[in-house]
Amino acid sequence: MRADPVVTTVNLVKIYQNGGVPVPAVRGVDLRVERGEFVAIMGPSGSGKSTLIHMLGGLDPRTSGEIWLDGKRADTLGESAWALLRRKKIGFVFQFFNLVANMTVADNVELPALLAGASPREARERRERLLDALGLTGCADAAPAQLAGGEQQRVALARALANRPSLLLADEPTGNLDSRNTRDVLKLLGEVHRDGQTIIMVTHDARVASLADRVVSLLDGQIVDDGAVAAPRRRPRGTAGDVVELRG
Amino acid sequence: MGTVRASARWIRADLRARRGQAILTVLAVTGIVTALITSATLLEDGTNPWRRLFIQTKGAHVWIHTEDAPDVAALSRLPGVEQVAGPYRTAPVTLVLDGKKSPVALREATAEPPRVAAPLVREGRWLRPADGGGVVAERSFAQALGLRVGDPFPVTALSGASHPLVVVGLADSSDQGFYPEWTPGLAWTLPETLNEIEPAQGRSESVTGLRLADGEDTLPAVHGAVTLLDERIQRMSTWREVSASMELDNRLLGLLLALFGTAGLVAAALALANATGGRVLTQTRDIATLKSLGYTRGQVFAVLVTEHGALGLLGIALGLACGRLVATFTLDGLPILPLSPVPLLAITGGTAAVVLVAVALPAWRGGRTPPIPAAPAAPPRGRLSRLARLALLVRLPPALVLGTRDAFTRRTPAVLSVVGLAVPMMMITIGLGCWATLDDFLRHPERVGQAAALTVHPGRLPAEVAARLAGADPDVAAVYPGAEVSALEPEQTRSVLARALGTSAEPYPFSVVEGRMFAARGEAVAGQGLLDLLGAEIGDRVRMTVGGTPLIVHIVGRVVEPEHDGEVLSLGIDSLAAKDAVPPQFYGLVLRQGADPATVRARLLAASGEALEVRAAVNPAERLAVIRVVIVALTVVLALLALANLLTASALGLRDHALDLAVLKAMGLTPRQVAATLVTGTGLPAVLGVVAGTAAGASVVAGLIDLQGHTSGVGAGIGRTPSAPTLAIAAGTVIGAALLVALIPARRAARAQVPVTAR
Ligand SMILES: Nc1ncnc2c1ncn2[C@@H]1O[C@H](COP(=O)(O)OP(=O)(O)OP(=O)(O)O)[C@@H](O)[C@H]1O
Ligand SMILES: [Mg+2]
Repeated sequence: MRADPVVTTVNLVKIYQNGGVPVPAVRGVDLRVERGEFVAIMGPSGSGKSTLIHMLGGLDPRTSGEIWLDGKRADTLGESAWALLRRKKIGFVFQFFNLVANMTVADNVELPALLAGASPREARERRERLLDALGLTGCADAAPAQLAGGEQQRVALARALANRPSLLLADEPTGNLDSRNTRDVLKLLGEVHRDGQTIIMVTHDARVASLADRVVSLLDGQIVDDGAVAAPRRRPRGTAGDVVELRG
Repeated sequence: MGTVRASARWIRADLRARRGQAILTVLAVTGIVTALITSATLLEDGTNPWRRLFIQTKGAHVWIHTEDAPDVAALSRLPGVEQVAGPYRTAPVTLVLDGKKSPVALREATAEPPRVAAPLVREGRWLRPADGGGVVAERSFAQALGLRVGDPFPVTALSGASHPLVVVGLADSSDQGFYPEWTPGLAWTLPETLNEIEPAQGRSESVTGLRLADGEDTLPAVHGAVTLLDERIQRMSTWREVSASMELDNRLLGLLLALFGTAGLVAAALALANATGGRVLTQTRDIATLKSLGYTRGQVFAVLVTEHGALGLLGIALGLACGRLVATFTLDGLPILPLSPVPLLAITGGTAAVVLVAVALPAWRGGRTPPIPAAPAAPPRGRLSRLARLALLVRLPPALVLGTRDAFTRRTPAVLSVVGLAVPMMMITIGLGCWATLDDFLRHPERVGQAAALTVHPGRLPAEVAARLAGADPDVAAVYPGAEVSALEPEQTRSVLARALGTSAEPYPFSVVEGRMFAARGEAVAGQGLLDLLGAEIGDRVRMTVGGTPLIVHIVGRVVEPEHDGEVLSLGIDSLAAKDAVPPQFYGLVLRQGADPATVRARLLAASGEALEVRAAVNPAERLAVIRVVIVALTVVLALLALANLLTASALGLRDHALDLAVLKAMGLTPRQVAATLVTGTGLPAVLGVVAGTAAGASVVAGLIDLQGHTSGVGAGIGRTPSAPTLAIAAGTVIGAALLVALIPARRAARAQVPVTAR
């Protein structure tokens, strides 16, 4: 028997009410993401990318349609049940990092682990491992504001991964970064993906999307294109060499 | 468990980030609770002296008067009895001073003070074995008769023999109420002295006190004593009667305290709600992040209530501790007792409830924050308000225009900070009004019916001589003959005081606030309390029995009447029957402007060779002195609350404009102009609040005090509005402080390098 897909949506619809005027943001999306896949969602501004990814994480209730997570129906859950689900199964990375400004980097990363019921020691060990892996060991006691944008986004990534979620959702994680920081963050995403992490990432940057296995294009709230990126990287060797170089 | 740990980290981090604001919140609540407890303690202490006396003298709960000494062993076996005081032999004697006779219960006491119900020596000393002719007099009795330590205390026994005794000390006691409400007066002397004065056992009685384990439960002991002693009991009293007789009228104080307390609580609730709400608003993004991490609505609510509620509860705990501390201070050399449990619990519970409600509302809103933190919560972009456009038209500096616009972009916080300052300011104004009213009492006693600073009782001298002596004094402007008799109201159930002072042709200057002064025989003026009691109105004719003589009284006016709850009928002495009016019992002396009553009193005493009895009027303001403490304390607390509100508003303003600052600077505003913009933004609601609060306070204060006066029987017509300069200074100070408070963070923000992107 095949393993359940991580995410399945069936005719997912979201209609906002804007002062009584219905604004359809997502109009009947059928999406299926297998375990270990790295999916990029692309589309022009206002095409409903954020709305879709928010619905997948339960941040925004859907208007109609179905959402299945790990083979279980999720769209019928209430707000609190979604919250509990997010703790264990979903990690979020946002465009503006959204670290808790008053907490240190270490506390920010430990927060989800503690929330999911880990002991303080366990949370600390996990945090040390994650920050180590993301090259942020030295920043544990810093305040988020003291870090550069790319570093902040890496911390946010560490936080999203703290509970080994089955699904990592990222909404334009590089939208607010310069090209060097973008490269750093993408490199990390590539690494966690290689370790088997399922990722759905929103971007409107084609070069960023090229890192994914599969690109889904949205237009006016509907999928207009869904295709795997050619398995052998289309990117010239030089770029791959960059990554290797950066890693060293 | 996991959520608790995570929440604890979040709360710790948040508190660390806003230490100052958190401390201020705690202080504000501490202040309110301390002020409430202090005022309640002082009020209780001042109006119920029995409690303090009873604890300090280790008093007895039940006193039994019997013909001869009862069986102490049997009494001590009665249910609930812990200790027995006495039995003490007590003889009725008469104290004769200046020809005036006062009945006294002369009680035996050993040189060694008893362990239970020991009189508390306040002046002089206790009896010594060698004090053959010495007595210790009960203090209220001594005060009423003007007795001091060392004064003679000549008593006449039932046999008619007189004995020259000397006062060696004055002591307080909780055995009986104060003189003259409780008669006869009480004095203690050695057993030998008592034996000498009244050798006949049959003409004395025996007094035994029972101290109970539970004072609330006097019945078993009382029943037991009745069964045991039966016929031999002459009378019995319990602490309840003593306590009731000592109790002062505290309605006025109590009401004022309740008013201030409620307003203080409202102000505290506003400050807390404002602080919590402001914090929730500044944290919208963080709260949304928490939710995206898996916090539920309820958990966010719980975290917020825990954090902000804990600050309030900590404040309450500190306030309770400070309130306790107050009890260690002394008043008149005696320590103040801590507040009794019922008001203490009421204050604690009430504040805790207010704190939790004030915190819960904004926390609930915080819990409903949508979990999508991506959209930075931008303040609503207001169009230029009409006010701001007007400001632009008249070419005001740009900082003012921008600040004015900013002040009202967020409606709710703006309204909250206006109200948050208006309420404390209103209460401060009302406090100043009370203060002004008290000052007015002192400066113009004639307005509260105390034109006569001195009353002269002829004492041993004939009345005409007394009048002549008084009239001859250079500082006495007028002398009014007076008499006080009791008057029975028509239903004959309650007697009130009828005070005749002056004549119908030449009436004493009562402070008539409604109707007119009496001008003919049979006309009278009344206090509000009496009008309420009779259900009468000005112009009514009421049938009363005045001094035993039936009289139809025509009530022609209402006076401000600070005494006897306003239940006083004032009339001309010629309206009284001759037996009451001739000779006058006393004379009321109105002094010349600026004359010192004490000097005049000394002069009159000297002129009469100490034969006259001259009393100075006690201004009601002196009895209400504790109100001033309450006013000062609450003003401080209210100022603290206003400050807390202001800090919240200023923090919120900064947050809303953090992004604008960069834009403003890019537009070419200097740091000073940026700071001015921010100060205008927070300062404008503050100024509005202060002005509105002052205006509201000033417009209600006189009415409020008059209403208060009405219910306490004094009657309307006493309320004073604080003077315009006082109000201007108070409002100016608060506005100045507000702008200063707004300026500090604004300057810092204006100087700081502002990132153009969101964090
Ligand atoms: N809370 C909301 N209320 C009303 N309409 C909304 C709301 N959020 C989004 N929309 C509308 O839904 C549509 C899709 O918005 P969405 O944010 O999903 O687009 P997007 O693809 O993420 O765009 P961008 O690339 O700019 O982030 C837009 O037309 C937007 O105006
Ligand atoms: Mg988007």
